[in-house]
Amino acid sequence: MSVLGKARVTGAPFFRRRRETPHLVLRGGLLLLTLTIASPTTAKVRISSLSDVNFGAISNLTIDAIQAQSICVYSNGSNNGYSIRADGSGSGGAFTLSNGVTTMAYTVRWHNQAGQSNGTVLTTSALLSAQTTTAQNQTCSSGAPTTASLIVTLPATSLSSAGAGNYGGTLTLIVAEE
Amino acid sequence: MTGTIKTGMVALLLLGSTGTAYASTQGTFGATSTGSVNINASVPARVRISGLTDVDLTNSDPSMNAAVAQNVCVWSNTATRGYRVTATGSGAANAFTLANGALPVVPYTVEWSGTSGQSIGTSLTTGSVLAGQTSSATVQDCSAGPASSASLIVRVGSSALQAMPAATTFTGTLTLVVAPE
Repeated sequence: MSVLGKARVTGAPFFRRRRETPHLVLRGGLLLLTLTIASPTTAKVRISSLSDVNFGAISNLTIDAIQAQSICVYSNGSNNGYSIRADGSGSGGAFTLSNGVTTMAYTVRWHNQAGQSNGTVLTTSALLSAQTTTAQNQTCSSGAPTTASLIVTLPATSLSSAGAGNYGGTLTLIVAEE
Repeated sequence: MTGTIKTGMVALLLLGSTGTAYASTQGTFGATSTGSVNINASVPARVRISGLTDVDLTNSDPSMNAAVAQNVCVWSNTATRGYRVTATGSGAANAFTLANGALPVVPYTVEWSGTSGQSIGTSLTTGSVLAGQTSSATVQDCSAGPASSASLIVRVGSSALQAMPAATTFTGTLTLVVAPE
């Protein structure tokens, strides 16, 4: 008697847990081991349709300067959930812009619906959980073209005390499946 | 004799150039997805003068010169925190004079110091720029940091006071314009 092992791999999209289903079959003195593995599809996310935030020359330094944009976030996790965190390019990930000499603080808000001008304030490197998306695919090429809002604000308190000059910085957004 | 000078303020602006544009990055499809945006802003050179109070020379003794000094806040956001100041009066040809109808005008003088708490400063000529001033103010209204950053001194000479009829109010407006440097 010999023992043969046979494995069949079957893709099963959206399975969250690894499943293994062994079968033992005895045929004519031949022990056939059939191992079926339902390969899980790891939940995945994608953030796209991001645009640079250009405030340009700000003429009024006594009021907040606000730039909002709608972006696409896709998640194939359960309930299409995701979390998001943001990191600035300032020291320790701070949300600050620099002109090479001085820095200017800004704030970041997030809303899990498109077209919003207000949202939940993000703290650098801190997760904002329990977000959901309506994106139908990873690039929002069908359905709603955008699913979330990113709002960047230069507060008047920052503007009115900032030195003259051109400021720049990078805001990094990291989305994870939930 | 009474003299009142109302001080005014005007802030000038200079626009800077706009910031450089960069390119955002889009996230890829994965367990996590990371995208980034570049943020650009340009803050133009700005100044502000505030903390001004009216100058009251009521009941000045005509036997001596009268002077009133006040601390004001001048803020500049240039790299050097520099500014220039120009003063104009409300008299003929912007002269530093006080008036009361048809009575002869009363001249006064104006001095400026780039530090607060001063009783003597650089004499200003109406319409002429006093350049090279530097502010210690850290916020535009001096609500934090130094409470004031410059001194304004107004004087009326004894001879001018003696030319004024008693119990008669003379008024005028002194306008101060600051601009970034």
